Amino acid sequence: MTMSRQGVQPTEVIDRAAKLRFRWNGKRFSGFEGDTIASALAAAGEHIFSRSMKYHRPRGILTADYWDPNLMVQVGDDPNVRAGHRLLESGMDVRSQNAWPSLNRDIKAANSLLGRFLTAGFYYKTFMRPQWLWPTYERVLATFAPGGKIDLDTPHAYHDKRYTHPDVVVAGAGPAGISAALAASSAGASVLLVSHEHAVGGHLRYSSDAADQAALTELRAALDASDVEVLTDSTVTGRYEDNWLGIVQRNHPIAVERLIKARAKTLVAAPGLIERPYVFEGNDRPGVITPGAARRLINLWGVKPGERAVVFSANADGDAAVADLERVGTEIAAVIDGRTGGSVSSTAGSSRAVEAVMVNGTNGAERIDADLLVVAAGWTAPTSLLNMAGDRPIYDPTAARFFPSDPPSNVLATGGLAGDADLDGLRQHGAATGRLAAARAAAVRHRLQSRTARALPVDGDEPAWAPDERAPLGRDPHPELYRADTHGMVDMSEDISSKDLVAAAHEGYDSVELAKRYTTATMGPSQGKLETVNTVAAIAEARGETISEVGTTVWRPPYAPLTLGALAGRMFEPVRVSSIQPWHEANNVSVIQAGQWLRPDHYGDPAAEVRNVRDNVGLIDVTPLGKLDLRGPDVPKLLSLLYVNKWMKLGVGRVRYGMMCAEDGVVLDDGVTGRLGEDHYMMSTTSSGAGGVWEWVENWLQTERPDWQVHVTPVTTAYASINVAGPKSRELMSRVCEDADLDAEAFPYMTVRQATVAGVEDCFMWRIGFTGELSFELHVPAGHGLHVWEALMDAGSDLGVGPFGLEGQRIMRLEKGHFIVGQDTDGLTLGPSTGLWSLIKLDKDDFAGKPELAWAADRSLPMVVAIQPDDPDVVPEEAAQIVRGNTNEILGRITSSRYSPTLNRSICLGQVEPDLAAGGTKLTVLLESGERIGATVIDHHAHFDPAGERLRG
Amino acid sequence: MRGNGRLGRKRPPKYSAAALAWKGLRGQSWPRVWRDCDLKRSYDAVVIGGGVHGLATAYYLARNHGMTDVAVLDKAYLGSGGSGRNTAIVRSNYLTPEGVAFYDRSVHLYEQMAVELNINVMFSQRGHLTLAHSDASLRTMHWRAEVNKLGGVNSSVIGPDEIKKECPSLDTSDHPRYPIQGALYHPPGGVVRHDAVVWGYARAADHMGVEMHQKTEVTDILCEGGDGPDGKGAGGRVTGVRTNRGDISTPIVINCTAGWASLISTMAGVRLPITTHPLQAAVTEPVKMFLPTVVVSGSLHVYVSQTDRGELVFGASVDPYANYSVRGSLEFTEGLAGHVLELMPGVSRMRILRQWSGLCDMTPDYSPVMGHTPVEGFLVDVGWGTYGFKAAPVSGEQIAEAAATGTTPKLIEAFALSRFDDGELVGEKGAASVGH
Amino acid sequence: MLLVPCPNCGPRNSTDLRYGGESHARPDPNTASPAEWRAYLYLRDNPAGWLRENWYCASGCRRWFSVERNTATNEFRDPPLPGDKRGGAA
Repeated sequence: MTMSRQGVQPTEVIDRAAKLRFRWNGKRFSGFEGDTIASALAAAGEHIFSRSMKYHRPRGILTADYWDPNLMVQVGDDPNVRAGHRLLESGMDVRSQNAWPSLNRDIKAANSLLGRFLTAGFYYKTFMRPQWLWPTYERVLATFAPGGKIDLDTPHAYHDKRYTHPDVVVAGAGPAGISAALAASSAGASVLLVSHEHAVGGHLRYSSDAADQAALTELRAALDASDVEVLTDSTVTGRYEDNWLGIVQRNHPIAVERLIKARAKTLVAAPGLIERPYVFEGNDRPGVITPGAARRLINLWGVKPGERAVVFSANADGDAAVADLERVGTEIAAVIDGRTGGSVSSTAGSSRAVEAVMVNGTNGAERIDADLLVVAAGWTAPTSLLNMAGDRPIYDPTAARFFPSDPPSNVLATGGLAGDADLDGLRQHGAATGRLAAARAAAVRHRLQSRTARALPVDGDEPAWAPDERAPLGRDPHPELYRADTHGMVDMSEDISSKDLVAAAHEGYDSVELAKRYTTATMGPSQGKLETVNTVAAIAEARGETISEVGTTVWRPPYAPLTLGALAGRMFEPVRVSSIQPWHEANNVSVIQAGQWLRPDHYGDPAAEVRNVRDNVGLIDVTPLGKLDLRGPDVPKLLSLLYVNKWMKLGVGRVRYGMMCAEDGVVLDDGVTGRLGEDHYMMSTTSSGAGGVWEWVENWLQTERPDWQVHVTPVTTAYASINVAGPKSRELMSRVCEDADLDAEAFPYMTVRQATVAGVEDCFMWRIGFTGELSFELHVPAGHGLHVWEALMDAGSDLGVGPFGLEGQRIMRLEKGHFIVGQDTDGLTLGPSTGLWSLIKLDKDDFAGKPELAWAADRSLPMVVAIQPDDPDVVPEEAAQIVRGNTNEILGRITSSRYSPTLNRSICLGQVEPDLAAGGTKLTVLLESGERIGATVIDHHAHFDPAGERLRG
Repeated sequence: MRGNGRLGRKRPPKYSAAALAWKGLRGQSWPRVWRDCDLKRSYDAVVIGGGVHGLATAYYLARNHGMTDVAVLDKAYLGSGGSGRNTAIVRSNYLTPEGVAFYDRSVHLYEQMAVELNINVMFSQRGHLTLAHSDASLRTMHWRAEVNKLGGVNSSVIGPDEIKKECPSLDTSDHPRYPIQGALYHPPGGVVRHDAVVWGYARAADHMGVEMHQKTEVTDILCEGGDGPDGKGAGGRVTGVRTNRGDISTPIVINCTAGWASLISTMAGVRLPITTHPLQAAVTEPVKMFLPTVVVSGSLHVYVSQTDRGELVFGASVDPYANYSVRGSLEFTEGLAGHVLELMPGVSRMRILRQWSGLCDMTPDYSPVMGHTPVEGFLVDVGWGTYGFKAAPVSGEQIAEAAATGTTPKLIEAFALSRFDDGELVGEKGAASVGH
Repeated sequence: MLLVPCPNCGPRNSTDLRYGGESHARPDPNTASPAEWRAYLYLRDNPAGWLRENWYCASGCRRWFSVERNTATNEFRDPPLPGDKRGGAA
């Protein structure tokens, strides 16, 4: 096969004045602007582009378009580039992918000799013994993995995403698609026309017929004059629920690849037809091409595909290829007509090129010397978008392809997918489809607007759902040409032959899905667009059934592959910080990730922070603490319903701790709630529980108790929250707090006051303390958080005030024995397991989880207990298991552990079996190192100040 | 009548390199992997669902208990459900002692499978990393590691440097939004060729006389004596099944379906704690090998491995709302891509080639429902959530024992349906919510 | 992407909402037997067909609401769709 660039063709898309230089496997080449990588290489006489997966056979051009399985190349760090589609760019470094040491000499080509042993699925039948050798076999098999190489240093380049809400999206920009877009637009619809190719026009682009060219010019002019938005080199990759479409745009000026998400009111599927290869011996030899490939090479890029051709034609495309080939001087050795019984049975030649073709034509069987065989055997209908919409297309044997059966009424097919007609007929059907799509889109538009309470009012009644009154397209008869009287390749990219498929069917893998899975046919880069129907045909033949009886497989998204980069987009991951964060950053903070929040973990020495709080006073930024502002007369009832304890008699100014359980009795959240006014409460939740508790509250209020008057406002980020803790906290607070009496009697433990702090009004503070120290938890309007923090720092410099972080707080709360929901409890920890039995008030009429908590009394539940290792210097890991003696029987685990700088010893919380929960019980703790240590359960959760004298101070 | 399966049929040829060569030279074809049989009117046991669980159950009924008069019914083709749609990960690093013991047995059976079933299931024990991106998840990894060690399972927590050594493509720096803080490393974990497991069990069961019936849909379960309509429900017993190919009488019906478990169980009057959600997966175009281990990130809701064909196979968590549609969504691939690139920015240019989904039966405690039900003779092996594939061998073995002996084997005691009556749930949630 | 018909905000992308699962009545916590209560907690009809279920318009109006959806086809019964059963967008 000798390909070469010819003189200027009237339809060509190359700019011969713009020469582009590039490299192919390290050698210098050049092409023209408008060339694809493959057309430039073909023009330069290259005819081997890749090696097949298993047998490493040389592979040449087959379809010369996006779906060509033989034209997968590496471009720079971009693997698996479709050279039949990707436009040439200056400086491209193009390499072949599946060959070693080189494309021309590939060692694994020796596998061809083993073909009879390497039948599809052979690997299931061997390499079982010896078992220990399998990893080695596996590594060898893995070297056969096709595809390019990724460079792990490839940056995630810029990828944005676009959202659009057009009335009509037209997928495919051939004459029918363009006509549909124009008609829909004329009918008043907003239209997005998506062309998979680099320019609109579909098959008209590579037709040398004058009428086709005139029509193309006219359609393009009409598009230019219309309001239709046209995307080229873009593909509708998927149709999802309610016409949510994924569109990949490959030629965006900035983004490497861009994902467009369109909510189409109606979708017009007009993808055209895909040429189906014919199966016969030697059909994968370089030099066997489709008529589309021949015509694209000639008419788009001025490349002569060969010197002497045999054309096997069963349709008008094959006939057109003959004309085009003759025009550029390819000698037509023979035209074998598939409509009148002619056939091709094999090619002969080297592995690298066709030299002769065995045909059975009007002259009977003969061998014809040729370097090119063009095979026009029919088409595959790419019904993917219809499949994704739930349609199961039906095979029509008279037309030898599948047609839509019953797609949803907001998905309309036109063009070759819907049937056959001359150009005028296709344009008329397209236009009728466009009008129908626009009419239905108008009805959907009206409905969407009228159903949205706050949308602008929409006039009139909803338009009736327009009936489909399109005159259906005809179906041209076409011979069923799937396999000749010889066997050949069905799947070029997977090296699967019709013989493999027949053998698989005889072995019992006789449904399409089983055969696909067993042989891997259709699993390659075009995902069956070229291979599926031939696969079905091979199975049908093996089973002695028809294609209709065997049926087809479901085409899954995406229609065309798209990069992870495009799907990921710009990867927005929000970061939440408090308004005090600048101070933390200026003061050597070490942050910890807590969900989306970045929180101060410590400022260099958490133990020192603890000691300073115990001795002087410390500040911690606890802004992420969940806060819900609750107002209304029924708030006490709500609190009583959601917490296990009682709330009806909480006085104004009082604060109470509460524990929430889910309906299964499992601990959900905890925190304090204070009554700020007669009908005004502030609920605090754990930081991680803030969002969930809000939804939980709304759920109860809206679904179970809709008659209750409670208004809920989440105010977590409306306030910056600062806990001022330590024996000198009252002194510090008194210096910044202007209008509240902080005296122990006036503002006792577990009360709340509203106050002006450091000049900031509308702060509230409660006297509670997770740390076990005298403390004031301040909540100040968020914008003033930094100011108040700095004011506290300034005011307390002589008191030794310093910041402390989450780590310090964790140490102190552990010293005090406060459990953390989700750390010391887990997804099965019932309320009573926390040891807070007395909190649970079963005499309340109703509260979440009440029945389970009542029944829990009769169950044997693990308990949260405080534990001290016998060796005070050993800190068991959080997760260390508590076991029975020297056995491996698990009796519990350490859930929290730290070294206490206050007590100078290790301290823990853990969960243990109930019979081990009594104070004084000796435990065995298995450390991660494997060492077993002794530990003792202590009487109460608090390791430090169990009477709570300090925090009441 | 329970015959001895081993004597039931002439033994078909074994798979081996020598047999491949012999047949290749002589151009001979292989016999069918399993026979096409006529559906009989009665069997000693009927297994509903021709996936890995159902086929393993049938295999062990025949092999361990001599019950060969068994029919496996599937409404489509063998392996058409979750068995062929999962991401084929096998591991045993669970959180609870019950889970660890159970899955450890499964890994053991997978290790023997290629030889035992005489088919190469390509169990690639390439190691399994579960990444932690927060101190809370790191704590859970430590917890799992400790429970694993006590259960004799090879599993430990490793830091970012070791992670980088095991899997150089991961970004272990502090640049990502959620940096990798550590990982649970489980060397015996890996991937299997899932279809081969289906075919292997089917072939081996067939050799012992079990019948596989494809395109045979169960439309009702026939019962008598129960407290519900038509004799269904608690206190009753199974008498047979109705199918699209006629009625079959049998004293034992085992529900081994996924996606349809609650609908099948309802046919016997048994209500289950299950909601059905699709689980999606996707595969990229192949590239040369670069990802040596299985990588899971619970925080980022993604798991990924590279097949021997060079493709990356991904999965995530189940779809948020219950449904029986397997069409997939765009938001799934978008989320997946973002999370994968957080872990491995270098794969930005790789292209998603195909996405699909399968149905998962989710239970409240992320553990299966296995064993006898209030209807005598009706057993369930259901509620497998997103982790059914890895449990298939041990599930088949245990359910076969339960069915054949009428007892409840110790390994599956914790998974009884009755636990939902007693409120005694299994604490596997921490490990299994996005654990693959 | 499923469009979920929020009664206030109109049809919204499902990712804007939180799924609340099957709608089912809460038994009286004071009289429910363990079997009744645990059936409420754990057992579900899980039909492949019409299901009354709850959604929370988390990114919109923050209302919980209940609708009927066909779990096999993902169509919502209310508001009813004109045209054919799988047709329109809302």
